Amino acid sequence: MSVDVGALTLRGPILAASGTFGYGTEVPLLERRALGGMVSKGIFLRPRSGTPPPRIVETPSGMLNAIGLQGPGVEALIRDYAPKWAEWDFPVFVNINGESAAEYAELTARLDGVPGVAGFEINISCPNVEQGGLYFGNDPRAAAAVTDAVRKRTRLPVWVKLTPMVSDIGVIARAVEAAGADALCAINTFVGMSIDLNVYQPRLSFRTGGLSGPAIRPLAVHLAHQAARAVRIPVIGIGGIATAEDALEFLVAGCTAVQVGTATFVNPRAIAEVHDGIAAFLGARGLSSPADLPRYLPRD
Amino acid sequence: MFLVDARITGKRLVARDMYVITMHAPPIASTVLPGQFVNIGWSPGPMLRRPFSVYRVDGERIEIVLKAVGVGTAQLLSMTQGDRVSCLGPLGHGFEFGAGPRSAVLVSGGLGVASMTLAARQAASLGIRVTWVHGARTKEDLCSESDGDDLIWATDDGSKGVKGTAVAAAPDADLVLACGPNRMLAAVAARWPEAQVAVETYMGCGTGVCLGCAVPLKRGGYDRACREGPVYRASDIDWATLPSHLSYAATP
Repeated sequence: MSVDVGALTLRGPILAASGTFGYGTEVPLLERRALGGMVSKGIFLRPRSGTPPPRIVETPSGMLNAIGLQGPGVEALIRDYAPKWAEWDFPVFVNINGESAAEYAELTARLDGVPGVAGFEINISCPNVEQGGLYFGNDPRAAAAVTDAVRKRTRLPVWVKLTPMVSDIGVIARAVEAAGADALCAINTFVGMSIDLNVYQPRLSFRTGGLSGPAIRPLAVHLAHQAARAVRIPVIGIGGIATAEDALEFLVAGCTAVQVGTATFVNPRAIAEVHDGIAAFLGARGLSSPADLPRYLPRD
Repeated sequence: MFLVDARITGKRLVARDMYVITMHAPPIASTVLPGQFVNIGWSPGPMLRRPFSVYRVDGERIEIVLKAVGVGTAQLLSMTQGDRVSCLGPLGHGFEFGAGPRSAVLVSGGLGVASMTLAARQAASLGIRVTWVHGARTKEDLCSESDGDDLIWATDDGSKGVKGTAVAAAPDADLVLACGPNRMLAAVAARWPEAQVAVETYMGCGTGVCLGCAVPLKRGGYDRACREGPVYRASDIDWATLPSHLSYAATP
């Protein structure tokens, strides 16, 4: 079941997605054998308290969240969590966030070399204060600048998590590939809104939130496929995966691995079930590894 | 924490539109503490699980209380004996009884009865004299089941018991435990800052990783109703920021 994401070999094709697994230390009924790796909850240099409630609302086949990247800051992460990661038998990537390229760079420099930190997943869906709050991920130059800033400060794998809120994901994908990304993670949540008709107001206090869950899966498969067609580096598919068949769709559409997120809220065994289901699918067809799956990835 | 494929064993009406559902969940029944909850999923059903306080334990069975308020609860209520739900629990941090209280008053509003029965029984087992004050809008909305040594009813319209709120009708005691709408709990906090209250929030995972069930604290910041809560010291909560009215989105 092992897969190669660039130079890094994962023992399985499934990672736990950022923001749905905390720092991996509080996950209930965790079956570690099924995890190829884990991406930590997004972290900033400094602690952040997050947004006021309500922070989540369920929508048809999905949920909106506006947590506001609540977190303890990088020093607490290094002190409280990294030592535990160093003892685990799967790699932990840190999802890094900042308000400027310099902040991403500082965060990377601080985490690089810390035992337990296997690599970085750059969240480029953050507002860039130096560009009037424009999201890094919506601008190929800003996305590339952040990637470059991180790349220059570490030799560990650097993955970039792409936002779907763009008109052409291939443009961003190529820009961060050129800036030195080792892999792409596609995709982050879609921005959405839900209105409470009792009070004529948005249900979330932040007004908008990130939509996740099976509701976004066909959109995510398409965007991950588009990203995979645009670049030569591996793409890790994310978006509404709840079953092995869902994950296999991403793999056939051109992804090397997948991340499972919201499904674990619903089913604590989701990752193990996806893992075992992929193994059964491959076994039934005489395929020895996920890399042997036929890919639908026309190059034009 | 256990994930149990729980068989539904019974259902009974205890007030207008309010039901107790019984399910077979042995490991949860044998470990649940007063004020803890379970996160229940069913199929076909909404995507996310729904949190329910554990109302009572009967041998290997647990009971929850619910009201048909939305599509999800209607689905759950339409299930019959032998149907199965996925039950994750016990979850959260419940009521604490400390050392030495001699009297307790339990204040519940509406569905707030859900976390009171276990608390009443635990208090009784510790030799604490329990007064249960239960409030609802009208006589028909009052739960027909109760526990404890003394019982006080309160209704908004005066159709049974004291006219007015449960908080106003309650006597003082060494220990005050409360569960009900957040607005009622804010009134509890104003009268008894040291009371222990079980809050209601939207919930995602129920296990501490999604940070969706944020409870604003007076000292600043948030913590999680599903881990540090759902029971809090009343004066620790920033009541102005905690949503007082939750309405679940329709989730067909």
